[in-house]
Amino acid sequence: MQVSTKWLKDFIEIDCTADELAEKFTMAGIAVENVIHAGAGLEKVVTGKVSEIVKHPDSDHMFICQMDLGAGELIQIVTGAQNVKAGDIVPVAMVGANLPCGKKIAKGKLRGVVSNGMLCSADELKIEGDSSGIYILPADTPIGVPAAEVLGLDDDILEFELTANRGDCFSVFGLIREAAVLLNKTPHFPEIKVTEDAGKKAADMIEIKIDAPDLCSRFSARVLTDVKLGPSPEWLQKRLEGAGIRAINNVVDVTNFVMIELGQPMHAYDYDEIVGKVLNARRSVVGEQLHTLDDSNRLAKGDELVIADAEKAAGLAGVMGGFETEITEKTKTVVLEAAAFNAASIRRTSRAVGLHSEASGRFERGVNEKATVIALDRAAQLLQEMGACKVCKGIVDIYPNPKSAVKVQFTTKQINDRLGTNYSDKEIIDVLKSLGFDISDIGAQMDAEQAIDRISTAAKHFGKIAKNIAQAGLTKTFDKLIDSSGVKEFIAYEATVPDWRNDVTIMEDLSEEIARIYGYDKIPATLPKGSQQGRQSKTQNFTDKIKNILAALGLNEEISFAFTSVETFDKLQIPADSELRRAVPIMNPYENPLLRTNLIGSILENAARNLSRKNEDVRLFEIAPVFFPKALPITEQPREVLKLAGLIMGRRDPKGWSQNSAEVDFYDAKGIVEELFAQLSILNYTVEAGAHYALHPGKTAIFKKGREILATVGEVHPAVAESFGIGKKIYIFEADIETLIKCTAKKFAFENLPKYPAITRDLAILVDRDVSAGEIEKVIAKYAGNDFKSVTLFDVYTGDRISADKKSLAFTIKFQSSERTLKDEEADAAFKDILNSVRKIFNAELRA
Amino acid sequence: MINYFATKMERQIQQLRESAATMISAASDLKELDNVRVKILGKKGDLTGLLRGMSQLSAEERPKIGKIANEARAQIEQLIADKNAELKAKDLQNKLASEKIDVTLPGRKIHCGHLHPLTLTLNRVKEIFIQMGYSVEEGPEVETDYFNFEALNLPKDHPARDTQDSFYITNEILLRTQTSPVQARTMQKNPPNTPIRMIAPGRVYRRDDYDASHAPMFTQIEGLVIDKGITFADLKGTLDFFCKQFFGENTQIRLRPSFFPFTEPSTEIDVSCPICHGKGDCKVCHGSGWLEILGAGEVHPDVLKMSGYDSNAVSGFAFGMGVERLTMIKYAIDDLRLFFENDVRFLNQF
Ligand SMILES: [Zn+2]
Repeated sequence: MQVSTKWLKDFIEIDCTADELAEKFTMAGIAVENVIHAGAGLEKVVTGKVSEIVKHPDSDHMFICQMDLGAGELIQIVTGAQNVKAGDIVPVAMVGANLPCGKKIAKGKLRGVVSNGMLCSADELKIEGDSSGIYILPADTPIGVPAAEVLGLDDDILEFELTANRGDCFSVFGLIREAAVLLNKTPHFPEIKVTEDAGKKAADMIEIKIDAPDLCSRFSARVLTDVKLGPSPEWLQKRLEGAGIRAINNVVDVTNFVMIELGQPMHAYDYDEIVGKVLNARRSVVGEQLHTLDDSNRLAKGDELVIADAEKAAGLAGVMGGFETEITEKTKTVVLEAAAFNAASIRRTSRAVGLHSEASGRFERGVNEKATVIALDRAAQLLQEMGACKVCKGIVDIYPNPKSAVKVQFTTKQINDRLGTNYSDKEIIDVLKSLGFDISDIGAQMDAEQAIDRISTAAKHFGKIAKNIAQAGLTKTFDKLIDSSGVKEFIAYEATVPDWRNDVTIMEDLSEEIARIYGYDKIPATLPKGSQQGRQSKTQNFTDKIKNILAALGLNEEISFAFTSVETFDKLQIPADSELRRAVPIMNPYENPLLRTNLIGSILENAARNLSRKNEDVRLFEIAPVFFPKALPITEQPREVLKLAGLIMGRRDPKGWSQNSAEVDFYDAKGIVEELFAQLSILNYTVEAGAHYALHPGKTAIFKKGREILATVGEVHPAVAESFGIGKKIYIFEADIETLIKCTAKKFAFENLPKYPAITRDLAILVDRDVSAGEIEKVIAKYAGNDFKSVTLFDVYTGDRISADKKSLAFTIKFQSSERTLKDEEADAAFKDILNSVRKIFNAELRA
Repeated sequence: MINYFATKMERQIQQLRESAATMISAASDLKELDNVRVKILGKKGDLTGLLRGMSQLSAEERPKIGKIANEARAQIEQLIADKNAELKAKDLQNKLASEKIDVTLPGRKIHCGHLHPLTLTLNRVKEIFIQMGYSVEEGPEVETDYFNFEALNLPKDHPARDTQDSFYITNEILLRTQTSPVQARTMQKNPPNTPIRMIAPGRVYRRDDYDASHAPMFTQIEGLVIDKGITFADLKGTLDFFCKQFFGENTQIRLRPSFFPFTEPSTEIDVSCPICHGKGDCKVCHGSGWLEILGAGEVHPDVLKMSGYDSNAVSGFAFGMGVERLTMIKYAIDDLRLFFENDVRFLNQF
C-alpha cells in the first residue's frame, strides 16, 4: 500500500511533515517503510518568465536573461541554453537552491556578467522530458509559484508495510481514521451520493446469485448505462499514480480508485458480454476452462471461487477477471461488482495462479462486507460526475447472512493487568471511542463468590462510612462504599467493534489498541515477579564443553547448512546399501534436496573452500544434528542424532620464520581425540584398526569402549579428497555425542600425588613390522606386576640399521608403589618378566 | 753489608710490587691475568725467586723483610682479584652484547581454535537469561505443522504463513521455520499453568534466497515467560535489561506495535545503534540510529489454551530474535554468508 500525502490531505488537515506523519503511523503499528519526497531539491525553484534576452557581449553561445519571477523586480540570469526565447516560462533555480542533480546555485559572474540563478533543464530537475535544452513550461503557467507545484511534484508518497491483521488500513479512509486519532483532528469524508438517472432498474437487468456462500458472503452490483469510455481526468490519474497504479480508462480507473480509497476491490463487467444476464459466485468445476483477461486459459481445479454467467466462468473471483466480459472500447453498459470473498480461498487461488494483485491482497486480509454498497455508490458517483455514465435504479445485493457487530467485554483492570499500566476507565474509553468503538457500561460482572467477597469487604467499611451520611448525603456515601468494596474492578464495559475492524475480537485486542495509541513508550519497564532456577540440560553442557576443549586444542568451530545430496554421498563413497544413504528428502528444496546423515560431507566442502582460497592450514570442527528417517516415504518426524566431526590439514605449527614446517599426520588427529577424551573423562577405551567409507583403509582407527564406537579417526581416502577437489592429505574424526555422554566416567577420580619415588626401566625391542604397538603395550601392562604404573612408547624406528621386515620400538616402563619406596631389584624382576613375555609372545629381540 | 742486602731486597720487593701492578692493570683478559699471577706469585714466580735470597739475611732482618714480602703478596693478590672481577664483568658484558637478538621478530605462533561467532553470541545470550532464571529448552528441527504453526495460532491459509516460506518434508512435516514450537512443546510437557521461564535457541529454516541478508538456515532464540500476572511492562523491562547487558549499559530500546498471530499485543523492538549511537552516517543502521532486533508480545490466549493453560489464571510474554542479526550488529558484519562459508581467516578473528 502506498499513498500520497495529498490524497490524505483531501480529507484531513495534516500539520506536520510527511516524515513526522510516517513516524506517528509507524509508532502506532501502521508501519511506513519509506517516505518518497517527490519534490526533494526543488524547494528554491520557481516558475519565471523570460522578459528580455540578449546575447552575452563576451561569449558567442551565452545569453543574458532578465527574468520575471512575479516579484515585480527582474532578476538577471546568464544561460548557455539555445532554446530559450523572450516570453518563455521556465523553471528558475534561485540562489541557494540545492538541485536534485546535485548542483548548488550561488551568486556568480559568467564572463564578467552577474548571474543570480539558473534556468533549469529536465535533467537538472530529475524529471521526465527533453533534456537538450531548458524545460519550457506551458504558456499559461502562473509565474513565481514553486516549480514543484506546477510539475505536480509537491507531494510525498508514504509506502506502507502493513501487518496482516490491519486490512482496514489498506485504504485511504482507513488511514484517515488512524491519522485522525494520531493527529487529534476531525476528518471530513466526502459525501457519497448517487442520482439514479438511467430510468431502468438494475434488478431487471441482471441477476446476482451466490452458489458458494462459504466462499462469498456478499455480492453487490450496480448497473451503469450509456457508458462513455475514455481517459480519466488528470486529478484521478495523479492519485492513482501516487498509489502506484497505472491509469487505463475511466471505468477501470474508478474501480481502482475506490479500492484504494475505501479498501473495497471492485470489478467491472461488459454487460453485453454476460450470457444469460446472470452473475453467480460459485465453485469452479474440475477441468473447466478459465479464460482470464490476460488471455490465458487455465484449467480449474474445482476449489476456486469463480464468477460465472449462464455459460462459463467470467473470472477468478478477487484474483483476475474474465477475458470475454472485460471492458473494451465497445462497452456501452457496465455491471460493477463489489463483493466479500473468503480470505483463505482467495489466498489459495492467488498463490496457485501466482498472481498477487492489489485486489487479492485486500481480500486475503478480509474486506469490510458492510461496505460493498458504499463502494458501488462511490464508484457510480465518480463516473457520473465525470459524465461517463448513467446509473440504473437500485443495487442488486445478495447478502444471505448479514454479519452482526462484534461485541467485546472488558474491565479496566483486565486491560491494565495485561499491560502493566494504570489507565483510568475514562482514558481507556476515550481511546476506544476515538477509534470508532461504541462503549456501553454493563455494570459489575462477577460470579457469586467474587460478589460475596466484595460485599463482605464493603460491610467492614460500612460502619465507618455510615457515620458520614448526615454530612455528605446518601449518594456520596454510597459511592464511597462502592469504592471501598473493590467492586469497581468488576465494572465491565462492552465495546462494539466498528465494522471495518475485523482484527478485534477479544479483550486482549483492545489492550493493544490502548497501548499503541497511548504509545508503547509510555508502558513502564518492570521485571517479572517471583523467580526460577536457570539451567541447561546435561547434553547442552556437554556440547558446550566439547566445543571449548576443541577450540583450546586449536580447532575452529564451523557451522554449515543441514542439506546434502546424492552427489555428495557418491563423492564420499558411501556404499549403496548404507543407512547413510537413506536420507530425508525435502519436497521443495532450495538447492540440495536431502537432509544430511553425516557431517563429513560439509566439513570436507568447507576444507575445500578454504583450500581454494589459499587457506592451507585448516582445523575445523562442527557439532550438529543429522537426520535419519524412521520410515521411507516419511510418515513421522525423523530421528535427530547429534554428531561431532573434526578435520585437520596443513602445517602442524602455524607458518612462521622459526616454526617447524612439518605437515600434520594421522597421529595429530588421533592425539586430538585422545586429549578430548581425557578431558571428558572418557577412560579405558581401546583403539583398533578399522574401516570407514571415506577413509584410507590402512589409516583408520576406531576408538571403542565395549561394543560402543566412541570415535573414528583417519586419513581421508585420496579418491574421496580428490572428488572434493582436495589434493592434500587431510585427516578427520567423527563421533556421536550421546555415545560420548554414555561412556563418560560417572565420577571424576582424583589421584593423589605420589609419596614414594618411581623407578623407570627402558625396553627397546625388535619385532616384526606388522606387530602393533598397542598389543605390546597391553602385554607389558599385563606382565608388569603389581607396582606397574605406566608405559610410554618413546621411539619407533624402521630403516637401514635393521632388517626390512622388522621395526624397533622403545618403551619407558614406570613402576611405583603407593606404600613404600621400591627397590631396584623389584623393578629388575618385573622387567625380566616383561622381557620374557614379549620374547615369547611377539618373538621380540632385546636391542642393545 | 747485611744492611745492604736487606735494603736491596726491600727495594726489589718494592720494584716487583710496582711492576706487578703495571702488568695486572695491563692484562686485557683473564688468561693474561693468570699469566701475570703465575709469573709473580707462582712457585717459580718472581716473588718466590726473590724470597730465596732471604737466607742471606740476618735473623733480625728476616722477619722484617718477610713481613714486607707478605704485605706485597697480599697487595698483589688483591690487585689480581680486583682485576679478575673487572675482567669477568667485562667478559659477561661482552657475552651479553654478543647475544643481542632482534626483538622485533614476531613471536612463535600457536594454533588457537575459536568458537564460531554465532556460538559466542548464543553463549552470551544464554548466560544473560540463565542468570535471570531461564532454562534452556530444545526441540526437534524437523517439526510437525501442528507445533510449528497451528499451536501458535497460525492455522492453514493464515496470511502470516506467507512470510515464512517453509521447507516441507510432507504436507504435515516440515523444517521448523522458527524456534517458537519449543514454546508449545514446553507448555505441553508441563502440568497446566506451571510457571515457565525458558529460552529455546536453535537452527531454523526458511526457503529464502541465499544472499547477504538471507540464508536457508539460520539461528533463532525464542523466549517464553508464563506465570500469574505477567504483563507487557514485564516484557519491556526484561528485554530492556537484556539489550543493556548484551549491547552495553547505554543501550536504549524502542518498541513499535506489530502483529504476530501468537501474541497480543505484539511489538517489534529496536535497539539504539551500538556502532554510531544514533549519530552520523552509519553503515549498520543507515543513519537511523535504530536497529530492529526482536519480535515479542504478550502470549495470545489461544496459544495458552491450545497447550492446556488457562488464560484467565496465568499470562505470559514471548519473544524471538535472530542470532545472526545480533552478531552482525555486534561486530558490524555486513554479509550473512560469512557465517556459513567458514573461511578460517574469518573464524580466526573471534
Ligand atoms: Zn548506526
